[in-house]
Amino acid sequence: MLSTHLRFENLRRRFGRLSVLEGVTGAASPGELLLVTGPNGSGKSTLLRCLAGLLAPDGGTIEYQENGAPLDPAERRRRVGVVAPDLSFYAELTVRENLEFFARLRRVPPERGLAILDRTGLPLERFAGTLSSGMRQRLRWAFALLHQPRLLLLDEPFQNFDSSGERTARDLLAEHLAGGGLAVTANPSPLDFDHVAGHLELGR
Amino acid sequence: MWRDTSNWAGEMAAVFAKEWRCEFRTRYALNTLALFAFTTLVVVSVSLGPLGISFTQGTAVLPVLLWLILLFSVAAGLPRSFVQEEETQTSIALRLAATPSALFCGKLLYNLTLVMALAALITPVFIAMMSLTVGSPGLLIAGLAAGGYGLAAGSTLVAAMIAQARSKGTLFAVLSFPVLLPLLLLSVELTRNAVGGDPAGPVLPQLLLYDASVTIAGLMLFPVVWNP
Repeated sequence: MLSTHLRFENLRRRFGRLSVLEGVTGAASPGELLLVTGPNGSGKSTLLRCLAGLLAPDGGTIEYQENGAPLDPAERRRRVGVVAPDLSFYAELTVRENLEFFARLRRVPPERGLAILDRTGLPLERFAGTLSSGMRQRLRWAFALLHQPRLLLLDEPFQNFDSSGERTARDLLAEHLAGGGLAVTANPSPLDFDHVAGHLELGR
Repeated sequence: MWRDTSNWAGEMAAVFAKEWRCEFRTRYALNTLALFAFTTLVVVSVSLGPLGISFTQGTAVLPVLLWLILLFSVAAGLPRSFVQEEETQTSIALRLAATPSALFCGKLLYNLTLVMALAALITPVFIAMMSLTVGSPGLLIAGLAAGGYGLAAGSTLVAAMIAQARSKGTLFAVLSFPVLLPLLLLSVELTRNAVGGDPAGPVLPQLLLYDASVTIAGLMLFPVVWNP
């Protein structure tokens, strides 16, 4: 069977004089969740942005391959699923229009977006600009899972959720991992989750 | 191959449709462009007017004024196309989901329709208010189409380049100057030929060459300036 895995070694990233990542190393395999914890400003979000291909690291290597084929940063950026606090959607478009737009960009049938919306319990015809913070987080999850990615990069994935929202998100993540997907999750504190295979603590 | 091209065109069409859908709901660019264009048009018309300028002076000066009105109207509205994506943080989702070249072409197509609509509205009113006689209307339309495309393509490219910078307004003016100056000189020259009833000469091919160059430069540069 052709392998899918993520491995990053000795990642470094500076913003001006401020060194945010200094030699961070980790890996994740199918069915595994790599948990990244650390205090505010320890570089968790920066690490995830580097892994997503949204930010170029100053040093170190990121190796991600799907079905045996290594992906370059541009291809990795389009393949991964990302949930992040700074991920926003078009306030002038409804939830349905936002998902349909990104489905067309992701080259997946729009029905796929509607199926995910059904799972997340989002109101289809509400404008994205009028959503509560918990509903926006549900929309981020729908966006991340739209193209059925193998790798999920989750930055504080359960923030702002009510209990039913968190339960749905946990179910979606568990299904993703059970289906052979892998995930890297950044959280300020340890997560109570069954599939955590590795733990990386930043800012120590 | 065909499937890839079709998917790429689908992405471009999705960006174009999304831009217009958002624009119809906010009317930001439409209002800005229309307000600026009609204000300058009225100022120019009242200041110069059909009686305040001779035919010879009109042929020399009015094409310049027409292109200045179009340029400043465009400068007031088009940079928003990418800047707004950064300010509202929708750029992250776009970076994750869109093919850069399809995104650039979708935005360019949207800006082009805005510029063409503006030119189609402004030019007849300008000609009527200034009592300008156009010797070669066909050449004027060709000039507006080629110049308008160059204006849209150049502005889209510069807007993409400044989107992530801090002093966006200043940078747009500084970067637009070298990019749009040759276009404006050629467009004014072609409009003068059209008004005077002279042949296009080498100006129209030069303008088309400029359009092609800016489009190719945009397609090559955009993935670099858009992504890290």
